[in-house]
Amino acid sequence: MLVRAIGLARSYAGPAGRAVTALAGADLEAKGGEFLAVIGASGSGKSTLLNLLGLLERPDAGEIWFDDRRVSHLSRRAQARVRGRDIGYVFQSFLLISGLTALENVLLAARYVGGDRASATREALSLMERLGVADRRGHYPAQLSGGEQQRVAYCRAVLNRPPLVLADEPTGSLDDVHAGVILRELKGCVRERGASVILVTHRADAAAEADRVVRLEGGRLQPA
Amino acid sequence: MSLVSALFPRGYVFTVLGIAVGVAGLVALGAMAERISRFIEGGDRFVLGQISVAGEGMGMGAGFTAGGLLRAAKIAEIARVPGVAGVQAQVMLPLKTTTSQFLTLTQELVLGMDLGVPTPNRNYRELPVRSGRFLAPGDRGVAVVGADFAASHRLSVGGRLEVAGLEYSVIGVLDKTLTAPDRFAILPIEDARALWLRRDPLLVQLIGSSAGLARSDLNSGAAVAWRTGEDPDALARRIQADVAGVNVTIPSELSRTLRESTAFFSALLLGVGALGLVIGGLSLSNTVTAAVFERIRDFGIKRALGATDWHLLKEVLAEALGVSLWGGAAGIGLAVAIGSIVDARAVKSGQQVFLFSPRLIGFALVFSVILGALAAGYATVRIAHLSPAEAIRRGS
Repeated sequence: MLVRAIGLARSYAGPAGRAVTALAGADLEAKGGEFLAVIGASGSGKSTLLNLLGLLERPDAGEIWFDDRRVSHLSRRAQARVRGRDIGYVFQSFLLISGLTALENVLLAARYVGGDRASATREALSLMERLGVADRRGHYPAQLSGGEQQRVAYCRAVLNRPPLVLADEPTGSLDDVHAGVILRELKGCVRERGASVILVTHRADAAAEADRVVRLEGGRLQPA
Repeated sequence: MSLVSALFPRGYVFTVLGIAVGVAGLVALGAMAERISRFIEGGDRFVLGQISVAGEGMGMGAGFTAGGLLRAAKIAEIARVPGVAGVQAQVMLPLKTTTSQFLTLTQELVLGMDLGVPTPNRNYRELPVRSGRFLAPGDRGVAVVGADFAASHRLSVGGRLEVAGLEYSVIGVLDKTLTAPDRFAILPIEDARALWLRRDPLLVQLIGSSAGLARSDLNSGAAVAWRTGEDPDALARRIQADVAGVNVTIPSELSRTLRESTAFFSALLLGVGALGLVIGGLSLSNTVTAAVFERIRDFGIKRALGATDWHLLKEVLAEALGVSLWGGAAGIGLAVAIGSIVDARAVKSGQQVFLFSPRLIGFALVFSVILGALAAGYATVRIAHLSPAEAIRRGS
């Protein structure tokens, strides 16, 4: 899937009511089967960019296109459908739901897109097996290590085989071994399924795994 | 989400407890209001079921038939009034003479009934007997006691009731009626007359004297039954007009008087009920709303995974249903437990403070579920206005 962002702008209310600009006309293009890394200093707007691309919030200005669909301007309901079917998220803080087991967290991705629950469970268990967390399926997030939580979160992100995977500092709180596992999996998504992966990271070794690296600076993207 | 997981939601222990406290307050206050209400309703039903007649004058001032002696000749006259189906002579005395001048709705009374006449009260044809049996014609030296009377005097079938040095064998205990008969000791009328004579020696001197007073004249009043189709108020006025020297209560007027005299209690129970609704309602809705807002991060995550507003609303309502049902049930259980403990102490003095009626329990459950759903729906709609990113940010 071709992902295009055109002139994305987003600012937030800062202290004393002053607007803080996160993005000021950012343009981006990621082709299907491309692993793109976005780097930049802390507070440069990397996470905001990913939130906008993932339709987790609306831009102040600009457009986002998935192939020939202008998804940035869809209704809330239609955007929810796009999020469920076309986008997988991997967050730095995992964002697992504490009241659900590891398996239930993974299956959450399938709950809102319809489809057969039994086959989703089979797929989820197969993914968890590959990532080495199948034996932790009945455990709650608080009973899992950080590495295990991130692997569960990854399983949830790719369960529906989304054509776009957005990863926001997925290795930020992991040791090198577990970070390597996640990065390998993300590359596997690109190679085996032709998904577009956009990785936000401040780790040079993670960015080095990408096909292309762009830098976010002053609210705009430029080649690194 | 399966129905089972919706009905047994995890991680809601404190929410359930919070709801339980609110519902317990509502149910406990409601049960007190229900108790007062049932007592007033029962009294109203009683006075509307018969025409009460007493002799002219002040008399004993006891029970529902305050007035002077109603002599046997007057009872015979009343029975001849067209429309009258039956007249039952009665003796109503306060159990404790020290309280006879302070007639209250909760006073313990001795009621003597002429068992040769069918019970005239249309709304209480038979008093429900919990154990033993009711009085029968020919009985002497026996008593049937109301539920509260039995509890306060620790009486059961086979026990002995002693009043003013006279003893009666308890042959029956009534089921709870939640109104006046609960505090009655019912005797055959001859036994009640004997008690009256024991307490009022002046009457002994009058019997057989030039006053021409016979034992059968010792009646504090009579209950009059009307023929089917007869207007009880019209018949009461006819008796008053046709029979000289009697005080006749007009059923509807007595009902109105009773309601006016209990207006304070009615207002009190309205206030108690309203207070229960407000306290219970606020506690419940606040708890549910807070529980939903606490999960703002989870909603953000779910929306990121494709949940629509409708998905979230359905999930929250299903969980609110489960949580409200459990909280409501726990609250009812808590209120019943507290009420039972309080009533176990109160019953020693013949009182019952709480009445957990099915309609109250049903109302509390429906109320908690509806209010829980409304509160959850409100909180969900508020959260749904946030973007998934904002919801995750606020909840993290």
